[in-house]
Amino acid sequence: MEKALLGFAAALCVMAGCITGLMEGKVAIKAVESIGKNPDAASKIQSMAIIGAAISETCAIYCLLVAFLIIFILGA
Amino acid sequence: MFEIQTTVYSIIIITLVIVALLFVINRKLKNVDPLSQPKGLVLLLMTAVQMVDKQVKEKTSDEISKYLTPYILSVTLYIFVANIAGLFSLEAPTSNYSVTLILAALTCVLIEVYSARARGAKKYVKSWFEPFAPFVLLNIISKLSTLLSLSLRLFGNILSGGILMSVIYQMLGSISKMIPMIGEFNLVSLAVTPVLHFYFDLFSGAMQAFIFMTLSISFIGKELPEEQ
Repeated sequence: MEKALLGFAAALCVMAGCITGLMEGKVAIKAVESIGKNPDAASKIQSMAIIGAAISETCAIYCLLVAFLIIFILGA
Repeated sequence: MFEIQTTVYSIIIITLVIVALLFVINRKLKNVDPLSQPKGLVLLLMTAVQMVDKQVKEKTSDEISKYLTPYILSVTLYIFVANIAGLFSLEAPTSNYSVTLILAALTCVLIEVYSARARGAKKYVKSWFEPFAPFVLLNIISKLSTLLSLSLRLFGNILSGGILMSVIYQMLGSISKMIPMIGEFNLVSLAVTPVLHFYFDLFSGAMQAFIFMTLSISFIGKELPEEQ
C-alpha cells in the first residue's frame, strides 16, 4: 500500500514535465520563426534558444530530482 | 564493505578505447603533409575542430579559445562515446550520477575561474554579494542550480533511455516466448529494437553531448566582459 502511494507521488512529480515540454516546444517554434525572419542572426538565436530552454528545463529537472529522491530514498 | 558498481567496468573500457583511438589519430595526423589537400579522416577531424573552435571564439575571446577548445572537445568526445555505449551492450557511464556530476563540476569550476580572471580578484569577490550583501545566499543557490541542472539533465536523459530499452527488451522477450520451437531466442526484438537503439542511443546521445558542449561554452562566455 505504502509503496503504491510512493509510486503515485513520484508519478505526480514528473507530471510537471508535460508543461515544460510544451513550453520548450514553444521556444523552438519562436527560434525557428525568428531565424526565418532574420537568417543572418541564426547562430546567435540558436545559442539563445538553447540557453533559454536549458534554464526553463531546470524546473523539470528539480521535479525529476524529487521523483528520484522519493523512489530511491523513501522507497528503499 | 563497498561493492563495485557495474558502470565502473564500462568507464574503464571506454577510457581505454578513447585513449587508443586518440593515439591512432595522432599517429595519422603526424604523417600528414600540412600543405596537401586534406581528405578522409583528416578532413573530418579538421571540420569538427574548426566547428567547435569557431563557436568558442564567437562566445569568448581568441586567447581563451586556445585553452578552452581542447577541454570542450575532449569532454564532448567522452560524453558522446559514453552515451552510445548502449550500442555495444555496455552500461552507459553517463547513467551513473557520479560521472555526470564530475563533468558538470569541472565546467562549473571553469566558469568560476574564467569569471575570476576576467574581473580580477576584488571584483570577483564583490560579484558574490551583488546587488547587496544578503543576496549572497541567492547567488550561491544560482551557482548550485547550474551544477545540478547540467549534471541531472545528462543523467536523467541517458538513464531513462537505458531503463526504457531494458523494459522493452523484457517485454519483447515475453512476447517471443509465445512463438513455438524457438521461444527462448528473442526473435521479436531483432525486428523492433534497431530503430529504438537509433533514437535512444545515437540521436539522444549525440544531442545531449551537443547540448552539454553548447551550454558549457555559453555559460563560460556569459561571465566574460563584452568587448565588441
